[in-house]
Amino acid sequence: MRHSARTVLSATLVIGALVPAGCGDDTGGGAAAEGGGQIVTVYTGRHYGIEAVFDKFTAATGIEVRFTTGKDPELRERLIAEKANTPADLLMTADAANVELAAAAGVLAPVASETLKKVIPTELRSPEGTWFALSRRARVIISSTERVDSPPTTYAALGDPAWKGKVCLRPSTHPYTQSLVASIIAGVGEPAAEAVVSSWIKNDPLFIDSDTDIYKAIATGECDVAIANSYYLGRLQTEDPTFPVAITWPDQEGRGAHVNVSTAGVTANAPNPKGALRLLEWLATDGQKMFSDANFEFPADPSVEPAALVTAWGPFVGDTAAIVRLGEFQPAAVALLSRVGYE
Amino acid sequence: MTVAWRPGRGPGWALLVVVSVVMAAPVAVTVWSITDPSVEVWRELWRTRLPGMIVETAMLVALVVTGTVIVGTALAWLVTAHEFRGRRLLSWLLMTPIAIPGYVLGFVWLDTLQGPLGARAVRSIWLCAAVLIVSLYPYVYVFAWSAFREQSPRTIDVARTLGRSSFAAWWRVVVPMARPSIAAGAALVAMEVLTDVGTVRLFNVSTIADGVLRVWFGTGNRDAAAELAVLLVVAAASLIAVERALRGRARYTQTGARDATSGRPVTGLRAAAVNVAGWGVLCIAVVVPVARLVGWALRAHRLGQTETISGDLGFHTASSLKVAGAATIACLVIGTTMVFIARDRGRWGAALGRLASLGYAVPGPVVAIGVVVTLAALDRRGWWSGEVLLVGSLAGLVYAMVVRFLAVAHHGIGASVSKVSASAVASARTLGAGPLRVATRVELPLARAGVIAAATLVAIDSLKELPVTLLLRPFGIEPLPVWVWQATSESLWVQASVPSLMIVAIGMPLVGLLLWSVERGAQVVS
Repeated sequence: MRHSARTVLSATLVIGALVPAGCGDDTGGGAAAEGGGQIVTVYTGRHYGIEAVFDKFTAATGIEVRFTTGKDPELRERLIAEKANTPADLLMTADAANVELAAAAGVLAPVASETLKKVIPTELRSPEGTWFALSRRARVIISSTERVDSPPTTYAALGDPAWKGKVCLRPSTHPYTQSLVASIIAGVGEPAAEAVVSSWIKNDPLFIDSDTDIYKAIATGECDVAIANSYYLGRLQTEDPTFPVAITWPDQEGRGAHVNVSTAGVTANAPNPKGALRLLEWLATDGQKMFSDANFEFPADPSVEPAALVTAWGPFVGDTAAIVRLGEFQPAAVALLSRVGYE
Repeated sequence: MTVAWRPGRGPGWALLVVVSVVMAAPVAVTVWSITDPSVEVWRELWRTRLPGMIVETAMLVALVVTGTVIVGTALAWLVTAHEFRGRRLLSWLLMTPIAIPGYVLGFVWLDTLQGPLGARAVRSIWLCAAVLIVSLYPYVYVFAWSAFREQSPRTIDVARTLGRSSFAAWWRVVVPMARPSIAAGAALVAMEVLTDVGTVRLFNVSTIADGVLRVWFGTGNRDAAAELAVLLVVAAASLIAVERALRGRARYTQTGARDATSGRPVTGLRAAAVNVAGWGVLCIAVVVPVARLVGWALRAHRLGQTETISGDLGFHTASSLKVAGAATIACLVIGTTMVFIARDRGRWGAALGRLASLGYAVPGPVVAIGVVVTLAALDRRGWWSGEVLLVGSLAGLVYAMVVRFLAVAHHGIGASVSKVSASAVASARTLGAGPLRVATRVELPLARAGVIAAATLVAIDSLKELPVTLLLRPFGIEPLPVWVWQATSESLWVQASVPSLMIVAIGMPLVGLLLWSVERGAQVVS
């Protein structure tokens, strides 16, 4: 493949240069590194409230942040395709599996930072130092406060026939679902995980591709129980404190609630690796609280207090052991989801 | 087959080959992996999702194409074959749904119907098809409308004097003559449906395009995803073959002079029926969605979130205009060049023309990654100064847009140039004009309305385009669809309202231009 593709590419040179040149490209190659250490370039799959955090970093350090947002997997694929020519210094994702897949593809560089080792617990960073979690969130069982007295207490219990026609789930195209299933595989192995997911499917779940809409579907009576991220309740409760949905921390007797993380890793071909590391360390320390609070998440550094609304849901046991293995089991999770006919 | 001359060899061929290869390269580098198939993945896919994906794709394409052909042709007939108060306004407004992105229409209707129908019933292939029909029927409508208008009313009169009823005359005479145009519109619709990745996901419809993203982004297996994308290219190629078969060897040109207005006056109950049909479709496609968007925006304004939902509007709008403008100009120049250098070069010329249009049959994200791979390979060669990278530049984004939408320009310009009366070209040739001169002085001016219409369609398409923009936009360029996506991916409908309305607002004058050009075309091309 490589040979022929290259021949094709050589032939494209002339017009490849001509076509774009004739297209009114007045900003020029926007990706050129300007001023070396003064700008850090970030690809971020997390975009909610991220701009204010970067602004604060710039105010604190004088280093400017230039960023582009997108979906985790697409940014990962873009980084892989760009290889040595990437303008990106730091990759930030909203999901542990995607950052691990990026690391496995060799586009993230291991960093040895005492600061990061000190504040980020071992289970919240890759063993090689290619990525570090910055905040945690739990994917939990949510239920109607009006119609459900004893909600399921484990992910497996959602497959109980009692919940037939009353379950809402996020489709399998979303990383949240894929990571959840990867964590179940990591916890109980593939055959047992398949049995759990199959039992959900037998309950004829309603698939909704939005956690907010899943919460709303419970409020309107479309379903009684569901799986969703806890922080969305934070957002909904700031609008309406009486929102009729409650959170149950799943698997508290066992491996704990599925925890996923927002992460960051310095790219292997970063034009400005020093600036990237500086931003990463700042996000893990001075910027830690602001970063987590922006999305009602738990800070990765356990010594940093979460937002008041987040602590109001009580303490819980999280399945942190699975976090560094989510990437490893992601392809198996996607295959499993296909096999059992998960939407 | 009308006027043949031997084209000069050399430069024309070279240019054609180079342009086609450049346009096909991003798709080629992605689909190349079919030569070394991932057998295991295919086997797995065949056992699990693939049959379902093929069925749902075929069903969705069939539903939407049938729906758009019926709605588009019927509406075009209503406003061209009849004369009633407000006809002009209605015929313009009926084109406006094209300015509303499918993903915007999708989330608005999803949210609106979720209450009455329930979250479960709302997520169905039927509703997905309905949303796609109301958002895509203008493609058929605009082609049918212009074709109907281009036909001399005398043709109908002749049919009627031969004893046909008004409807029969239309059905037996007008429609067959408009068939190439309707087929062209239907082909565009089919491509849009095949490559849609935003609307289908909202409604839990699992198509092949969705499967490509599922495999690629879910497992990181680019090769397997690319192989799946080949299925789409094959499906698109078959659709084009069907379209060509439908068109047959038909080639109609109009020679007679025409009256400006050709509709049959209708009043009373009939006029009311026509109005109800037209305005009914408009309500679903435009009035209700826009009203809901405005409602959201106003609510945010009342809650004092004006700054949150409309800050930086100017910046995002400027980004959108810049990208869509550049993409349109590039498509126009390249598309026109292709039409003229490809058409007289027989089968190979046509094949190269289709090769260059490949990107239209491939979902946006696949094109985008293909462009990144292509440009990154060029960047690594370091042919230009090391600081300038094509990846992540405005040029790269525009290149991807052209790859994606060149077919629209090529198709549109080609269709209108082919409608130029053969005798006009023959006369010019007889008078000694060379092919280039005939093209620039006779055919393009005669087909200019078609060229403007094609440009407008490309502009509207690039304005609405989401996946390519999202993946390739350079730093400092944040077009409106990206803003819409950032809000909708968090289900923040309210925050999506202002940029959505802005996209619609920019699209409306473009729709006006489209109508104007089609009307001018009706006067010029005869």
